[in-house]
Amino acid sequence: MNEKMKKRLSAVLKNGALAIYAVFALFPLFWMILLSFKSDAEMFTTTFIFNPTLSNYEAVLFQSDYFRFFLDSIIVAGGAVLISVLAGVPAAYALARYDFKKKEDIAFQILSFKFAPEILVVLPLFMIYQKIGLYDTYFGLIWVYQLISMPLLIWVVRGYFEDISVEIEHAAQVDGYSWYHIFLRTLLPLIKPGLVSAALLAFIFAWNSFTFPLMLAGTNVEPVTVAALKYLASDTVHYGQMAVAATVSALPAVIFALCIQKHLVRGLSFGAVKG
Amino acid sequence: MAKIELINVTKKFGKITALEDISLHIKDKEFFVLFGPAGAGKTTILNNIAGIQIPDEGVVKIGDEIVNQTDPANRNVAMVFENYALYPHLSVYDNMASPLRSPKFKKDENYIKEKVQEIAAMMSIDHLLERLPSQLSNGQRQRVALGRALVRTPNVFLMDEPLAHLDAKLRNQMRTELKAMQAKFASTSIYVTHDFMEAMSLGDRIAIINKGKIIQVGTGDEIYYMPHDEFVAQLMGEPEINIIDGKLHKDEETYSVTLTQCNKTYELPKEDNVYEKLAAVSGDSIHAAFRPQDIVYSFEPKKGYVKGTVFSYESIGNKAVLMVKVGSSLLRMIAPNGLVVKLDSDVYIDFHISHIMFFEAETTEYICRYNEAGILALVEELTKEA
Amino acid sequence: MQKKDNEELNVVPFKTRIRPYLIVAPALIITIGIMVPFIMAIYYSLTSYSFRLPTYKFIGLKNWINVLTSSEFWHAVWVTVRYAVFSTGIAMLLGLGIAMLLGNLNNRFTKILKVVLVFPLMVAPVIGTIVWQLMLNNSVGIIEKFLNIFGVYNFPWAASTSTAMLTAVMIDVWVNCPFVIILVLAGIQSLPKSPFEAAKIDGGSAWFNFKNLTLPMLKPCLYIALLFRLMASLQEYAIIFALTKGGPGDTLMNLSLTAYNTGFAFQKFGEALPYILFLWLCINIIAKQIVKRQRAAQRLAAGKDEE
Repeated sequence: MNEKMKKRLSAVLKNGALAIYAVFALFPLFWMILLSFKSDAEMFTTTFIFNPTLSNYEAVLFQSDYFRFFLDSIIVAGGAVLISVLAGVPAAYALARYDFKKKEDIAFQILSFKFAPEILVVLPLFMIYQKIGLYDTYFGLIWVYQLISMPLLIWVVRGYFEDISVEIEHAAQVDGYSWYHIFLRTLLPLIKPGLVSAALLAFIFAWNSFTFPLMLAGTNVEPVTVAALKYLASDTVHYGQMAVAATVSALPAVIFALCIQKHLVRGLSFGAVKG
Repeated sequence: MAKIELINVTKKFGKITALEDISLHIKDKEFFVLFGPAGAGKTTILNNIAGIQIPDEGVVKIGDEIVNQTDPANRNVAMVFENYALYPHLSVYDNMASPLRSPKFKKDENYIKEKVQEIAAMMSIDHLLERLPSQLSNGQRQRVALGRALVRTPNVFLMDEPLAHLDAKLRNQMRTELKAMQAKFASTSIYVTHDFMEAMSLGDRIAIINKGKIIQVGTGDEIYYMPHDEFVAQLMGEPEINIIDGKLHKDEETYSVTLTQCNKTYELPKEDNVYEKLAAVSGDSIHAAFRPQDIVYSFEPKKGYVKGTVFSYESIGNKAVLMVKVGSSLLRMIAPNGLVVKLDSDVYIDFHISHIMFFEAETTEYICRYNEAGILALVEELTKEA
Repeated sequence: MQKKDNEELNVVPFKTRIRPYLIVAPALIITIGIMVPFIMAIYYSLTSYSFRLPTYKFIGLKNWINVLTSSEFWHAVWVTVRYAVFSTGIAMLLGLGIAMLLGNLNNRFTKILKVVLVFPLMVAPVIGTIVWQLMLNNSVGIIEKFLNIFGVYNFPWAASTSTAMLTAVMIDVWVNCPFVIILVLAGIQSLPKSPFEAAKIDGGSAWFNFKNLTLPMLKPCLYIALLFRLMASLQEYAIIFALTKGGPGDTLMNLSLTAYNTGFAFQKFGEALPYILFLWLCINIIAKQIVKRQRAAQRLAAGKDEE
């Protein structure tokens, strides 16, 4: 009986500890959603019981510029990932399959971009962008965002290429296909799930970027991360609207995260850990 | 179909030399086997012929053309890979059709349909055409891989241990089918294996390879009866050949050999070829070898037989291997199965001296055996027939 | 003559040799293009460049000396180090603990938790800060109401110098702990079963198992998590900026924020760069060390003694 009770107690404690963490991790998000439905009138007087309203959503989505910010985020993050995929996937292939001098040097160089402090790049870039007219432009941000999306894409996709047995490429060569045929028709279909996951993860990180748009963009291009801060800074703080801005801004990332469940570990660790 | 030649080919991978100065001449329409232990360099040879790798030194020729700088796609070879290398995202039909759809060998869809159906029926996989490789068993995948190669008419078929991952029963079955196909297709084929039964039964000629070097090239019989050295002798034959120390006595008229561990001296029958070769041996240390079928045993004492003890008795289906300990040697011989044998009991053995093989004690190279002339004549006749 | 022909035959054709370089080229051009500023940063840090003044001149190491001897700089270093050590340390420990629990239990609750625990990580740190401000806010925050029950009113959180660091670290841990959990959990799930089964037969305690079996085999994973977290928290900008812009006063002014203020707010561009170049140097050195250890741990875990 003692053994069994010990086991039960231990299970209860373990689950309890996890429950505490779950509350810590998820309650803030729950609170955010809750507040988004609370009107200004009831904001200070009620806690959990109140009359839910859509007035905050109306205010933010339809009566303010929020939709524009959302679109800006889509353009910049989407554009960045697109460029990274187009240039990065072939590069990942070359790094995975070919053996050439400086291969590991180049690979490491690309990886090191991830660890470079953003401010370090931003300060001089601020000047340069102003000079060449890229300040506050979509193109300018998309280019900078490469520092976020390219290393991730290349390193993760490289891993997926390496997972494919080399013999399949040899078989295709012997069958009479040239290297770009093999790349497009045989390899790409095989890495498609991994590639999509890597692209979505890169999109999430690009979407979440704050430093770059803060300093390299102004009024023309305003992704949601920068715009959200506006709601904090205003004189009369509409907490409900802040909550709406936060919720809607976080939504795409959370949805995508659910889609790439299987490949999450690989993507987050840049291919170092295979889930 | 064409002849294939490798001339002084060397291939290194970093510090490791995979192939060292290899030269091979494979005749047109020949079924040539590359045989050797794992890591010997057999797959490297295939890769160099196919064009997947380029030799560091030496030349690869297909037909009479040097193809070193030619892509695999342009060499017109078909290859069956050890792990099949099927395209995971394509159906069996599309896998087999793939070579016929490439820019190099393009054919129209009607031809493709006909050809794939034909080969699929031959391989008994025509009911699997819509499936994906992941839905097939190993044996089925192997047939698809083979089928993918057979839809073409290449210069040469390269096969890298295609039967390696099949269970014994399937392997035997496929071996028979391959032999039938080989006769039917009459194509140049280079077949890699580390199974000597496949090598013997399928190959017109066999090349023994070890550690990147070619040890011996010849027909199965040549290699079995007159191996280049002990290494080759031990590779070919199941159960393994028995090699024991001996002392050679070269008297005026007759030579004899004392089998050291057996403590018995046998007179060597006079044959010019044998005596000539033995005369050239310096010193008196020598290795004598007997195939298991050339040793007889008896559980009752017999005149002239050597006494030993039973070490083990392994029944393997329709026969058994009896291992007898004499002195410090372990000798293998064949016995019928179903016997009641007590370990460590006494047993008496004798040797068929006329089937003895001699190897140098130092270098383990082959010296001679009886009736070499007869064997060579037989080999020539068999080769002529083929 | 014969030999020369032969030599040509054994060299990989030029078009094949050059192919990988051509394929990698676009990616390199794009990213190198962005790194040009880095080179310029080094140059400008040696000048008196400022947005206010129309001209600038080369002043050598004056900026560097000014910065390295200023109390502002060393305060920033101190803040950076504290923030990084606390947030990384807590995230690692908490993450390891939660991952061990998740790896140990298997019921419906844990199955769901494994999926949803990633949400804080997916939320932009900026948004995460906003979310927490909604929680901690003295007027509408739920935490406030919760603390009220215990008689604590108007807890200053980010507004006070004594609790600002605590608040920032808490938010950082909230966002990034899932990263550690996911990584370590993957590591745990890929551990070979046989050593543990053998230990069970040999009768070791849970702590013994953890210390001598689990931990060493998890080391490669842990190093990766450590690398990513440490590098990121050393240069964290978004969370602190969104929380207090570096305040109250200069409590949370780490190197990144100080560089930003000096460069933009005070427009002393040349002066700002040494802060951030110093940070970059440190990050590089630390990263190399961690990577070296990670490689060694990986070899050990794979059962090889030497490379």
